[in-house]
Amino acid sequence: MSAPSMRKPLPSLPFHDIRHLQAHQFLVDEAYLLDAQQYELWLDTLTDDIRYVMPVRVTTARGAGFDTSPGMAHFDEDKYSLSQRVARFATEHAWAEDPPSRLRHFITNVRTFATDDDAHLEVESAELLFRSRGDVNESTLVSCGRQDVLRRSGGSWKLAHRKIIADESVLRMQNLAVFL
Amino acid sequence: MIPAHIYNDDELFAREKERLFSRAWMFVGHESEIPQDGDYVVRRVLDDSFIITRDSESTVRALFNMCLHRGMQVCRAEMGNASNFRCPYHGWSYRNDGRLTGLPFHREAYGGDDGFPKDGQTLLPAPNFASYNGLLFINMDPNAEPLEDFLGDFKFYLDFYTKQSAHGVELRGPQRWRIKANWKIGAENFAGDMYHTPHTHASIVDIGLFREPKAQKRKDGATYWAHRGGGTTYKLPPGSFDERMRYVGYPDEMIARIKDVWTPRQQRMVGDDGFMISAATCFPNLSFVHNWPRVRERVHDRDNEVLPFISIRLWQPISANETEVCSWFAVDSAAPAQYKKDSYKAYLMCFGSTGMFEQDDVENWVSLTTTAGGSMARRLLLNSRMGLLSDDRPVIEALPPDSFHGPGRAQVGYNEHNQRELLKLWADQLELPA
Repeated sequence: MSAPSMRKPLPSLPFHDIRHLQAHQFLVDEAYLLDAQQYELWLDTLTDDIRYVMPVRVTTARGAGFDTSPGMAHFDEDKYSLSQRVARFATEHAWAEDPPSRLRHFITNVRTFATDDDAHLEVESAELLFRSRGDVNESTLVSCGRQDVLRRSGGSWKLAHRKIIADESVLRMQNLAVFL
Repeated sequence: MIPAHIYNDDELFAREKERLFSRAWMFVGHESEIPQDGDYVVRRVLDDSFIITRDSESTVRALFNMCLHRGMQVCRAEMGNASNFRCPYHGWSYRNDGRLTGLPFHREAYGGDDGFPKDGQTLLPAPNFASYNGLLFINMDPNAEPLEDFLGDFKFYLDFYTKQSAHGVELRGPQRWRIKANWKIGAENFAGDMYHTPHTHASIVDIGLFREPKAQKRKDGATYWAHRGGGTTYKLPPGSFDERMRYVGYPDEMIARIKDVWTPRQQRMVGDDGFMISAATCFPNLSFVHNWPRVRERVHDRDNEVLPFISIRLWQPISANETEVCSWFAVDSAAPAQYKKDSYKAYLMCFGSTGMFEQDDVENWVSLTTTAGGSMARRLLLNSRMGLLSDDRPVIEALPPDSFHGPGRAQVGYNEHNQRELLKLWADQLELPA
């Protein structure tokens, strides 16, 4: 029995499929924007009806049928709330990221799935975020899986839905003043 | 004056464990987290793990999560529903009320009840367990004063957060994360630090998340201290009780239910005095927050709407320099579905692991804790005298009872009365031999 938060292992698109190549490139380009904290540009890669969710993961018995906290998430965002978070970083008073963290988003295990319509792709990836602040405190990691829906937008793709599957029930990072 | 090293000192932490956490009422959860018979959550009081269960007769219990035989944890999930807990080591099993029911090879290994009578054997219950408005507390001291006496006049303020209808509040979460900060810093901050808001949280005002254009208005609010807890308030514009509740975003049907359960005195604090609760701390490490941000983009004038949220949070001590923050979202269980949705959104934007307020707070607290661990911190007395003149008279006199209807002592303006009250209780406990 697989863990409830993991998707069923559907056959993914071949790695040479142009849709997979485009989806993979989307994620790698996005990782650059997040590392560089180019958040205004990142917002442009999201659809206006984006839903961006990171449930709280909990430890449950194998037979429980759930492994996220009912009705609670770390992120449960729309374009307005993501834009407010980005706008905050642009003020002169966002101390949580001033001085900025040194960030590296590692993206791997990318699998792309066709959907019923040509306008959407489902993409799964694994992500490891390394974050270092200052010189005294130890750097921290967040490991997670991502389940994305990309929507065709002109000649490129935009992110329409993201579910972030945290691998820890208790995060070891002092805050999530970052995006995953 | 406060010795700076108290925020990162291993010896003091050992003493806090021995003398403070061992006899204070420690929050472990809320009845709404285990609504059905058989539901359970596992919560810690420092190093001790307890299963908080609603047994098959609907009685809520706190059971020490350690098998009577070899000491294994009998429940290793953090939540779920179970009629029994079976130890994974040798298979001893317990009903969800704690009674030992199954013991493999009872006859062969023990000679049956002759060698080990099962009757009357239960997982150890918490030494002391009680609730107020559904908030569940454990006390490790079996002779502790009753919970309601411990809370005393602070109950008046607890009701604002946890009794907004006869149906009571429901909790979701908690989000849990660890911060490299001493547990006292968060507790003090929520108890009374209005002074940090205009500066630490300037970015929140910059982006227009609140209706009030200036964080400076914080100083018009009052801080109060009542027995084992204290908190901060905002001063609302003129109006009746209903108008002021509407101003912070409560819909009329919720206001009607609130009026059914808040006493006339509680209603006068809002309706007559104009003070609306904000952050608060109940000694030693349980905090509350209530605020009212905008949850959607302002396109039309009618979008100039704010919506209140409530968060309950525990500063769970891990060590002298590390705390696990457990942050719950709380909402009246009878509230309309759309209100619950928007209030949850308001919470996520402001507090919790991703909250825009919380992000900046924690950055400060981690930095403070790190610095407090060095030798220079032992030579520094932090100035904690805000609100006092050199002869100890208050900068601003306490509010008279007809201007502030809540119990305890209250005053407007920036001050550190509440932080001093909290640390006084803390110091009294540390001086009292175990």
